[in-house]
Amino acid sequence: MASSWCWNCLSRLRPTPRALLPPSATPRISSAPFHSTAVHYAQPAKKKGNSLTVVKHRQSTSLRRKKKKVADRGGRPPAVGERKALRKRIVLSNPNALEIEGMLELSPETMVDSRLRGTVLGLPVPMIDQLRAVQAFKPKQGWSIFRRPGTVLRRDTIEMGRLFEQISGEGDEAQKGKVVKKIVTGMKGSGKTVHLLQAMAMGFLKKWAVVTIPDARDLVSGDTAYAAIEGSNPVQYVQPSATSALLTRTVEANRELLASLKVSQKHPALKMLKPSSTLEDLAKLGFSDPAVSWHVFQALWTELTATAPAAGLEKDFKPRPPMLVAVDGLAHWMTESAYRSAEYKPIHAHDLAFVHHFLSLLKEGDSLKNGGLLLYATSFSNNPNPTALRIALDRLAARQAGISASSPEYPQLPAYSDADPRVLELLQPAEKAASPLELQTLGGLTRDEARGFMEYFARSGLLREIINDQWVSEKWSLSGGGIIGELEKFGRRVRATASVSK
Amino acid sequence: MAWHKPTSLAQAMQSLRLTSTLTKPSTQASRTTLNTLRTRTYATEAEPVPAAAAPEINFGAFSQKPARIIPSSPSYFSGSPRFIDHVLALEALQAKHASLPIVATSEAPRMAWFKLPQFRDYVGEPVPMKKYKSLVKILQRLNRIQPDMVPAEVRDTLATFLRPGNPYAVENVPRTVDENGRARGKGKRKESTAVVQLVEGEGEVLVNGKSIVEAFKRVHDRESALWALRCTQRLDKYNAWIRVQGGGVTGQAEAITLALGRALLLHEPGLKPVLRKAGAITVDARRVERKKPGHVKARKMPTWVKR
Repeated sequence: MASSWCWNCLSRLRPTPRALLPPSATPRISSAPFHSTAVHYAQPAKKKGNSLTVVKHRQSTSLRRKKKKVADRGGRPPAVGERKALRKRIVLSNPNALEIEGMLELSPETMVDSRLRGTVLGLPVPMIDQLRAVQAFKPKQGWSIFRRPGTVLRRDTIEMGRLFEQISGEGDEAQKGKVVKKIVTGMKGSGKTVHLLQAMAMGFLKKWAVVTIPDARDLVSGDTAYAAIEGSNPVQYVQPSATSALLTRTVEANRELLASLKVSQKHPALKMLKPSSTLEDLAKLGFSDPAVSWHVFQALWTELTATAPAAGLEKDFKPRPPMLVAVDGLAHWMTESAYRSAEYKPIHAHDLAFVHHFLSLLKEGDSLKNGGLLLYATSFSNNPNPTALRIALDRLAARQAGISASSPEYPQLPAYSDADPRVLELLQPAEKAASPLELQTLGGLTRDEARGFMEYFARSGLLREIINDQWVSEKWSLSGGGIIGELEKFGRRVRATASVSK
Repeated sequence: MAWHKPTSLAQAMQSLRLTSTLTKPSTQASRTTLNTLRTRTYATEAEPVPAAAAPEINFGAFSQKPARIIPSSPSYFSGSPRFIDHVLALEALQAKHASLPIVATSEAPRMAWFKLPQFRDYVGEPVPMKKYKSLVKILQRLNRIQPDMVPAEVRDTLATFLRPGNPYAVENVPRTVDENGRARGKGKRKESTAVVQLVEGEGEVLVNGKSIVEAFKRVHDRESALWALRCTQRLDKYNAWIRVQGGGVTGQAEAITLALGRALLLHEPGLKPVLRKAGAITVDARRVERKKPGHVKARKMPTWVKR
């Protein structure tokens, strides 16, 4: 209750006799010497409405808010596969980006030219369809912000270009028929997949046969059909539709090459094959009928790796070109797959005939008879990260650094480790091999390469900065030593007009 | 108790000194002269026979046993005798050396006197704050005596009132770049602690043995971690080897900012104004506020419920 003392002037408010209080709600204004209000004139507190005091029985007493109605957007949901198509869409050109004057193209001359190191070379326009066919481009690589697709010529690229020259039998130190087996690793964003793309582009330039697995996970994720091969021990499994897809890719990308090569071996499993048909015709058999696609693939492989024609088929035999085999996301092949056997046990990825075929190429011996390059890249964006692969790669790196297997520094399995022995055995570094398995670790760009790369952004109109050595070396440090994926973020990032560093 | 007062004591001392200078050294004789001074003789009176002096009192062995034990300290019955003894001793000392030259307070050696609780422990009495302050005042006055003229007794007495392990005796060794060219800086932010080793180099950065890209996914965090180098345009001139632990990503990044700024100052002290202005060496001491009972969080109160 309010005190009847005024705390300002310590005078006592007039006490009003209760009997005199007006019955009505309107206060009577009476004359007052100092204060005009009487204490008791205050309006009595209004009684709260009945609704609040009533206790609700038999219903929840917790707070209930009205749910917002989701606005009906109208129309239908997108059709089946439309969302995925949008997600997987690859846009290779942006007409809003500036065209770069004097941009060089990747060609057999430029790809080994060390003077061009650090420049961005455009991919030749006719080749883009081939690269699309082998699914060399991935959705989130940022191709869509430039006028035309291009890749930076870095040290690893030039080295690879020289390798292509050597294996093709050109250049100074030609080693025709050599097989180079590489596992490409590196940090996230270090350009492993683009390195494969560059290899494919070089393969097309050199007229090699290019076979790719754009995503290794597709073969083990349990999405495609599979069937056991009868009579195989241990049981192996084929994947007809995946094989058929691979044949489609290969034919579409290498059409010119395959059309020029004639069948030179005998294939008793393929009765419908004519002796005069080309390899394109051979591969096309597998498109229509997935049931025979595995046999067709095997036949195509023997044709491509043939060094001499079989008896009776010597006519029109052309020597086969070297091959490029590129696999992205190798780690998925180093665990158990999502497939199940008849006993409902998980099938190991190495038991899938298709996977096994590509992995066996890594083993000792000249797997590609006409020479070629095997590039198997790991991935960090989708990585099951099996222990065995990690240790196997460590061991490869140790061997390459010159640490012998008996040395204490050689990576050992941790105690009680459940590392997969099949993986360790497969990737075991060979002691003395003609074509040993190599580990290629992609690092960052050098400062000069980074400068060339950032200038490409600036000349495309994406980056509005003055690009000097200091700016580049700042970005080089912030991108962890020139990791190209991080540099790209700096290049494409929209910045406020006022720079903070000034 | 009037004689407790320093003034009365001083007076007594003064009078003692006066008498001692006036009279001969022998106490016996002085007593007689005192007597002669006090009693006046008349010419008509006969020469009095000098009375034999009482033998000297041997305080070591009383002829009679005292009725009660005499306390050793005269301030025994004052409630805080040891404290008062100290005060008296110090006052005596101050009076004794009052004539020595003194220096300004700022030039006197810095001494860490006992804190009040420590002093209470030391004397074992509940000394009030105010009284202790007055004691400290005497100590400070004694401490102001010109350092090269401080008597040994004063120095010893003052030393008994010092906290053990004189904190002002420890001199801060300014950090420098070590013989291998490494500058070490530490920094904290929120729950994170960072230690940076900075050497001249090419702009390479390792955070906990990993690349900075792996340690900090966001570009913003990377920029704020290397802000000290960036705002001074030194990113390509140093290599940093960083250990950081605790807290979250932002806290770790900002702990590195501080550590890096401090390490950079060891290499280039002239950058201090720039770094200060850029906020690279400003400590953000904020921490998470504790949760209180009755609250849902530090400040948040539970929702009001009717019943």
